[in-house]
Amino acid sequence: MGFIDFIINSILTQASITIALIAFAGLLLQRRPFGEVMSGSFKTMLGFLVLSAGSSIIVGSLLYFGEIFSEGFGMEGIVPSIEAINGQAMNELGLANQIALTFLAIFIFNILLARLTKWKYIFLTGQALLWMATITTVFGSAAGFTGIGLILIGGLVGGIFAVAMPAIAQPIVKKITGSDDIALGHFCTIGYLFAAGVAKLVGKNSDSTENIKFPKGLGFLSDTYLSVAIVMVPLYVITAAFAGGEFGTALSGDVNYIVFAFLQAVQFVVGVYVLLSGVRLLLGEIVPAFRGIALKVVPDAKPALDCPVLFPYAPNAVTAGFITTTIGTVIAMFVLPWFGLAMILPGMLTNFFAGGTAGIFMNAVGGRRGVLIGGITHGFFITLLPALLVPSFNSLGFVNTTATDVDTVTAGLLFEWLIQPFMSLFG
Amino acid sequence: MPFFKRKKQEQQPKTEEQQTVKKEHLLEEIETYQNRLANGDNEDSVPLFNMLGSLYFELEDYDQAIHFYEQSIEQKKAIGKAFTDLVKLYNVKRKQASNAKDHQAVQYYLQKSDELMKLTKDSIRENM
Repeated sequence: MGFIDFIINSILTQASITIALIAFAGLLLQRRPFGEVMSGSFKTMLGFLVLSAGSSIIVGSLLYFGEIFSEGFGMEGIVPSIEAINGQAMNELGLANQIALTFLAIFIFNILLARLTKWKYIFLTGQALLWMATITTVFGSAAGFTGIGLILIGGLVGGIFAVAMPAIAQPIVKKITGSDDIALGHFCTIGYLFAAGVAKLVGKNSDSTENIKFPKGLGFLSDTYLSVAIVMVPLYVITAAFAGGEFGTALSGDVNYIVFAFLQAVQFVVGVYVLLSGVRLLLGEIVPAFRGIALKVVPDAKPALDCPVLFPYAPNAVTAGFITTTIGTVIAMFVLPWFGLAMILPGMLTNFFAGGTAGIFMNAVGGRRGVLIGGITHGFFITLLPALLVPSFNSLGFVNTTATDVDTVTAGLLFEWLIQPFMSLFG
Repeated sequence: MPFFKRKKQEQQPKTEEQQTVKKEHLLEEIETYQNRLANGDNEDSVPLFNMLGSLYFELEDYDQAIHFYEQSIEQKKAIGKAFTDLVKLYNVKRKQASNAKDHQAVQYYLQKSDELMKLTKDSIRENM
């Protein structure tokens, strides 16, 4: 008994070990060679621990930011970062095992739905599925689900999104690519359709963005880490200045409080860097294996690929969508607090990928006028939805952060607005 | 709802004779471009690679199409048809591998498509 207790209480409570065991079982089931099974399991564990380390760095930086922001502006400043949400959910909330199992459940539900329904989409963007698993687990757990029920409901909701999002985007994707063989697997699709709807309304007979000549030199804004730094550094430094020297020095000790703010902003970028390296390690072994299985079970599947699949069709629209979406997010940052919502800072990385892809959608249906007006409303929309989730994230113990990727946010709202009230009827 | 509509049948040449004529025509064109590629010292080879990729794609010789498009991208990462056709080609090959239950080939083409996504991201950034 002592040995079993030891396994249950001392080993299986360690998320890094259980996640490695999940990978171990998965690789073994696929009859991979022994060496691959061992290295795959170890890398998965390593990935999880690196992710946790990144999360601690982000949380440290965000705690500091939260304090100076409330001192400086007398309100809450929220950083949209799905990475930070994932890291905190896995570590501080202790939901790592549930998230890992929900991630696998989403894969399985995706395969089942693709096999059994006419929506033959297999969602191939692993990272997006991990974010979805995070949100369904966090909000499923808040709605009162536990154990296998939590994993199944998260898997079902995530699995439905994994086929439904590519499916609803497909009419426009088909128009863009001229073929029905490839689909889009990016959990910002509701935003794309919203933006395309606006673009269609306003962009009748408007010329394509591909005939515009854009100034060069914006590429640095789309770099994963630089784009985060570009927003965070001025933001931390200005906030620290508003919070004042006395308050700032209390937190910074011997270091000058402005220099400290600068370094804390860079720490945030470091945290994102470390966390994403962890995610890559964590998913590097599991995702290829599952994709192989999925495409074996559903050979006529339409692969739903990450958003760059559409970029070559309208590169100018990517730039235009990125710029107009960023304008929309900046407007929303100032407007939302008037309505009692939190101030959501612009997430440049989301603006690039979601804004760029929305640009292609908008251009396809509404040309350059569509991209201009649709893009600004898209920026507003993708800031508004995460703002609605802020009270829940705060009450669950997350530090000054909210989710990005509107489909993932919608899944959270679905739990909060529909599933949770429904559950409480029976609770 | 529009996304439940059945895919329209594409207008393909119906008779065997028409198909043979089309194939011969494509092969003639391929030969012309191959010769230009072999002889054209001063000519930019990227458009020729793209042309050959496109013709082989139409001819349904997917391996050759992939070969020429990959060469095109290797020489110049110009965002355009080489990128868009390659995603489709990798998917066609992946589908064939799935049907043949060739697990390794499935992974190979998925990997290829991942690499292409990454290259697309990088090229877009460079061109912005």
